[in-house]
Amino acid sequence: MVTLNHYLLVSGLLFSIGLVGVVVRRNILTIYMCLEMMLSAANLTLVAFSRFRLVEGLPDYNAQALVFFTITVAAAEVAVGLAIIVALFRARQSVDITAVEKLKG
Amino acid sequence: MSPLSLELGLGLLGLVLLLVESFASVPRKLIAYAAIGGLLAALAVIVSGAAGSVPDSLKEFYVVDPLALFYKGFAIIATLATIILSLEYAPIIHQFVATHPERTKEAGLGEFYSLPLFVCVGMMVMASAVDLITIFVALELVTVSFYVLVAFMRRSAASLEAGVKYLILGALSTGLLVYGMSWLYGMTGELSLSGVAYKLAHWEGNSAPILFAVGLMLAGLAFKVGAVPFHIWIPDVYQGAPTPVTAFLSVGSKAAGFVVLTRIVGTFLTPGSVVAGPVIQILLILGGATILLGNLAAIAQTNFKRLLGYSSIAHAGYLLVALACIHTGGLKMTSGEVAAFYLATYLPMTFVCFLILSAMRAKGYGEDIASLKGLGRANPTLGLALAIALASLAGLPLTAGFMGKFFVIFATVLEGYYTYLAIAVIGAATGFFYYFKVILAVYSKPDGPSEGPTPDLGLLSKVSLAVFVAAILVVGVYPDLIRFALVK
Repeated sequence: MVTLNHYLLVSGLLFSIGLVGVVVRRNILTIYMCLEMMLSAANLTLVAFSRFRLVEGLPDYNAQALVFFTITVAAAEVAVGLAIIVALFRARQSVDITAVEKLKG
Repeated sequence: MSPLSLELGLGLLGLVLLLVESFASVPRKLIAYAAIGGLLAALAVIVSGAAGSVPDSLKEFYVVDPLALFYKGFAIIATLATIILSLEYAPIIHQFVATHPERTKEAGLGEFYSLPLFVCVGMMVMASAVDLITIFVALELVTVSFYVLVAFMRRSAASLEAGVKYLILGALSTGLLVYGMSWLYGMTGELSLSGVAYKLAHWEGNSAPILFAVGLMLAGLAFKVGAVPFHIWIPDVYQGAPTPVTAFLSVGSKAAGFVVLTRIVGTFLTPGSVVAGPVIQILLILGGATILLGNLAAIAQTNFKRLLGYSSIAHAGYLLVALACIHTGGLKMTSGEVAAFYLATYLPMTFVCFLILSAMRAKGYGEDIASLKGLGRANPTLGLALAIALASLAGLPLTAGFMGKFFVIFATVLEGYYTYLAIAVIGAATGFFYYFKVILAVYSKPDGPSEGPTPDLGLLSKVSLAVFVAAILVVGVYPDLIRFALVK
């Protein structure tokens, strides 16, 4: 039997992998994928909580509404983010994190 | 008038202006003037009190209380100032956006004038949002628009770098915030702040998962307002972004973060809340560390924009401490109102600094503190305005900045947080050192043998400069001007 805890464990793992990836990876595209993974982890948590909180026998759909908003916002973020990363690639011919180390102090 | 019509109207105006810029070849300045006109009309509606109230069915998601109206007006004024600043900065934008700067005249300017409107809509919705979904969507509208604005000068290496850094850290903070929200929902089963507050006040059982959720949400929001240890993006992004955007970030984005923090912290600190103690501790420690680090790191800076970045970190620290002092009855203001007052004093002084920086930059000067040398002689009016704004940022008595700091320090005394009182005073004293270093530069002789072109401002900028300087001086003597707008 798959319980709420199983879902929370998986989403927690997904979130941790994403967070660690953002910190240790050097490629900006990989970092961006890890960021998307963190958002997916949040979505999985929301859906799991919503599915296991029954209101009159039905899941609590409020949280699933938030999931749809998160997906939409993530899509907008990707559209803008990839455009910025492409612009960076055009300027530097690289999407490595070392390409953005000029501003310091 | 229905409550959301202002936001919808401004959003629509932004879309129409984007279409006009794509399909019609009108002078780009007209787009800026149309945006300014629309914002002035919206401001008039809010000031006249015709913004209306919300039907009861919407109260769970959207409220129009004095605090919301105050922040809506704040958002509009910040956006107005940003667009006026952009008009001043237009030559630089064109230079770094156009493929052939010498052949075209106004590349990319239309978008640059209309995008701030979307940020404004996001901030206005956020001011009223009392539901996690509404808060999230409004916050993201602000953040995603800012991604575009920060990286706008795509031929400038610094702007692109700032854009990438803001993008990654902004998305990271969104991830933390949403994951925190999902756990808060999972534990309480509520998405509206009033529902969450009720559940927190009547909580029985293990509070660890709630603390986990609260910690993640506070971390996400600390990124947005630039609190230590989540401040690392601020100096780089402030230095690299186009100057009008830097000004908008430091005022608008900060205010947006703090209005959300005010609402969310208010929920967490509801009487009898199970997480009240830890939340106050987190706010105080973050605030204290932010004041100290922001002020101490600012001392060593040589770039003026970067210095203002660290200064904005330090100010965020005062605001966090203000939010933690909830027993402010002696001031006749709530902690949220003390923070709002502080932000209202922060707006004019920051914009004066950035206006003058834009004017200097448009005349070919650099952004280092050293390039300000001789300004006091070349253009005494601008020099004096900058000196007043800097003195106010430092918190000199008789300026608005002093009143803001005074209320925060008074609040810590009322609460008995003497450690944080000491930190706030040390921070303010350090501030005097580096702000007056800049004032000294303004009134010293230029390094070069010959004098450069005299920096000057357009008519609109001159008017707004005068209004802001007057606001700094008047509020410094008569703080009730802002307090009346807040505490109706």
